[in-house]
Amino acid sequence: MTYLGQIYAIVWKDLLLELRTRERIAAMGAFAVLAGILFNYSMDQTVVKAQDIAAGLIWMTLVFGGLLGIGRTFHLEAQDGAFQGVLTSPAPKDAVYVGKVTANFVLLYIVALLVVGVFTLFFGLDLGEHPGMLALALALGSLGFVALGTLFSAVSSGTHMGETLLPILVFPLLVPMVIYGVSATGRLLAGRPVADIAGNLRMLGAFAVLAVGVGAVLFRFVVEE
Amino acid sequence: MLSTASPRPDGTHVRSVVTPHAPAVSRGAPPVLSARGLTREFGVVVAVDGIDLELDAGDFLTVFGPNGAGKTTLLSLLGGRLKPTRGEVWVGGERLAFSETAWRARIGVLSHQSFLYAHLTVAENLRFFGKLFGLTDLDERIPARLEQVGLADRSDFLARQLSHGMRQRAALARALLHDPELVLLDEPYTGLDPYAASVLRGVLSSLKDGRRTVVMVTHNLTQGLELADRLAIQVRGRFGWYGEREAVEPETFEHFYHQVVEAGNA
Repeated sequence: MTYLGQIYAIVWKDLLLELRTRERIAAMGAFAVLAGILFNYSMDQTVVKAQDIAAGLIWMTLVFGGLLGIGRTFHLEAQDGAFQGVLTSPAPKDAVYVGKVTANFVLLYIVALLVVGVFTLFFGLDLGEHPGMLALALALGSLGFVALGTLFSAVSSGTHMGETLLPILVFPLLVPMVIYGVSATGRLLAGRPVADIAGNLRMLGAFAVLAVGVGAVLFRFVVEE
Repeated sequence: MLSTASPRPDGTHVRSVVTPHAPAVSRGAPPVLSARGLTREFGVVVAVDGIDLELDAGDFLTVFGPNGAGKTTLLSLLGGRLKPTRGEVWVGGERLAFSETAWRARIGVLSHQSFLYAHLTVAENLRFFGKLFGLTDLDERIPARLEQVGLADRSDFLARQLSHGMRQRAALARALLHDPELVLLDEPYTGLDPYAASVLRGVLSSLKDGRRTVVMVTHNLTQGLELADRLAIQVRGRFGWYGEREAVEPETFEHFYHQVVEAGNA
């Protein structure tokens, strides 16, 4: 119970801080909306069908926008040594990591739904017959993303390059998520049956589980010393 | 060990070493805190160099030393925030294992940083840290601790709305929330106004009365002497002098301190 209580405490604290500062959600949300507007003007929809390329644009917007917020995961933690206080507590590092990933997931998933909403609005997307499956694909992709993003945000926050380093570290590792996420989303938007995306969802799920597992193990080595 | 002429508390010099390490005393119960050969290197820099310590319940050790002597590093090692390059630390008879965290519940840390979240209220900060420590009676503990540090009427203030002195008092409440048996203090008086300093002094005195073990590092000779019953002067990572508080006179301690530092730097 204590372990779950420690995770809950981290989630509660992170979401409450975000509610008070709106530092990250505002940046990610603004990016999503502005990217949607720019993409709207960046293509000639008489030549290119938005429905055909929307999947890639949705995931790229999510990745770039998400990095704005996830990269600042440890920004407030650094003020007045707050995270040092967490590290002096008996909370296991993996519990701290899982708590931060959970809070980041909540934030990123809100942004993911906003991105889909923005693209639906600007491009008149038809979400197909299985919007629930689209929501699931976004959830699994978001989880894998925040699992890696949170870990490497801790790495980059300890370097003089800071957030500049984060995309260099994370982007190569996100390739599987982008491949299977774009594929699943594209097929759903094309009206393909759920059976056609089952494999992609399984791969996204495996990626998320692997990322959380590896992150939980490695986080201790990143934040200690 | 110091090999040069070392000063004595009475101002004279002796050619031999003046208790560079804590004496190994045989005791019944395991000491609350003990360190053996504690060493921490950062590349070629040896921040803490072979320090031995042994403190029982109720002992109050103040560690003095010039900038860069390794005092904060020593505190980080004793609190398990840093892993020693060599040597080991024992708390209550249990060796600090870096991979395990249960022993952290027995240690309270107060730094010159507050470790508080600026956008949480004082009560929210204490509740958060209390949950990390697995405490269940927070509804009673939090008001009691805030009362103890004179912040009962500030519990709903955001930490960033507090003055530095109040924030340090809130940090003290956070550090003592779980009633630790070992308290580590890193320059706790830094930037405190006289009232905040007197509150801190009162709380530290009550810790001593409650037989809590305290290790404090500070530059301030006067405040460092007040409650201590053991003293150490750390120079270049080593204890240039370690002894009982009664061995020094407050009037001559500054002179003695300078002598030890000069001897350690020689």
